[in-house]
Amino acid sequence: MGVWDDPVNLMSYVTYVFVKLFGFTQEHAHELMMQVHNEGRAAVTTGSREEMERDVQRLHEHGLWATLQRDDKI
Amino acid sequence: MSEFTRSGGIYSLELSIDEAHILINLVEQLLELLGEGDFSHHYDESDPFAQLMAQLKAAPDEIAPPEDPVLLRLLPNAYADPEAAADFRRYTEPTLRGRKKRTLTQVREALAVIVDEDRGGVVEDLEGEIWLMAINDLRLALSVRLEINPESFDLFETLSDEDPQKPIYAVYFWLGWLQESLLNLLAGG
Repeated sequence: MGVWDDPVNLMSYVTYVFVKLFGFTQEHAHELMMQVHNEGRAAVTTGSREEMERDVQRLHEHGLWATLQRDDKI
Repeated sequence: MSEFTRSGGIYSLELSIDEAHILINLVEQLLELLGEGDFSHHYDESDPFAQLMAQLKAAPDEIAPPEDPVLLRLLPNAYADPEAAADFRRYTEPTLRGRKKRTLTQVREALAVIVDEDRGGVVEDLEGEIWLMAINDLRLALSVRLEINPESFDLFETLSDEDPQKPIYAVYFWLGWLQESLLNLLAGG
């Protein structure tokens, strides 16, 4: 499941949401945020389809643009 | 300029009457765009924000991707594949829409306390997480209308004071600043 870069969400907000939703350390969340920012997209979580769809929905609730692919697997 | 403060575990925000009006107007317009019609709003139709936000109305069909680009940004497709996106939307979008409306409604009710007395003042004992998400959704909504990109701040600084879009840009950047002040408190533990 991946998160896409956008010019609106604050970098500090994206990091905060990653920590809040996925329990990442501040360092890991910051790293992922930078990857989103620099590369345009980063894979953020993996797991079963159900888990990833739930993660996508929670990210959408927080205004981050997350997508998954039909063949996304562990 | 206003910012969030925290005392113990309690978050507050002091707003001037103008700031409170701007915020509640935006919140109400976004609520209406999301399909929440059950309240009497504080803005009138000549409000420039109302005109900006009302450029398109919410698509009545909740299953199709929203036609309004603001709604599409707030309720985005989860899959690139249209069929998979439609499946996902069918069973998740009402929930997502409902959560966003609930968040905005909480903020609206807190703001209404001071706006209805036609005064500025302190919004007390507010829920930081709720306000964080609501402000983010307001920024996302404005960003779609303003077509925000990485050069937008430079553009804003070169706009003349007579430019009708200038105050709207100013509100957008003010909201970013406000959100950052709240994040500093929330992330500070």
